[in-house]
Amino acid sequence: MKITVRAFARFREVVGEIQALDLPEGSGIPALLGALASRNDESRDLLFDEQGMIREHIIFMVNRKRVGRSALQTIILAEGDEVAIYPPVAGG
Amino acid sequence: MITITDEDFDPGACIDAARDPRVGGIVTFTGIVRDDGITSIELETYREAALQELGVIRDEALSRYDIRSVDIIHRVGPLAIGDHIVVITVGAPHRRDAFDACEYIIDRIKETVPIWKKEHTAEGSRWVPGEHS
Repeated sequence: MKITVRAFARFREVVGEIQALDLPEGSGIPALLGALASRNDESRDLLFDEQGMIREHIIFMVNRKRVGRSALQTIILAEGDEVAIYPPVAGG
Repeated sequence: MITITDEDFDPGACIDAARDPRVGGIVTFTGIVRDDGITSIELETYREAALQELGVIRDEALSRYDIRSVDIIHRVGPLAIGDHIVVITVGAPHRRDAFDACEYIIDRIKETVPIWKKEHTAEGSRWVPGEHS
């Protein structure tokens, strides 16, 4: 299934502004991050800590709705979903 | 009106636009680029999500406070010292709710609206760390 990944600020600089990923049906956020992290060490370090856990400060949106930490491991993505990843915001 | 723009804006015009016979007080917050030893800054946004979130914040303010109007303009792109970043305009029958709503809105913007700042200095560039995750 095709998933669009949009990254912002520091995440855009490392993983790219917009990606079209082809993930297996039933994939979730961890699989998506794994695909991004497999590209290079800088991406892996940005997304995962030394224990292989998703870094705590990353904010996720799926189809422009925030995904909380508790749902990160359970949410299932669907064809055409747009996943955004970004650091804590600093506007205003 | 909720706007995210690459163009400068006139806070004075925002005040005039908020005039209404039911409004007895207009409070504005204008954020501008401060000289913290920087040469310029660059603002980036996830525009669709930011517009959506600004609309949520406006609606929250309208339901929490006795106010008549909320207008928010947020700038993105490259900015110089002294440039406008954001203007929030709140019109209300009475001043207290206008002040409180305006403060509520800028605090919420800093918490949840997907906008980021990169500061450029003579030594290099860095992302301004966000305070909320």
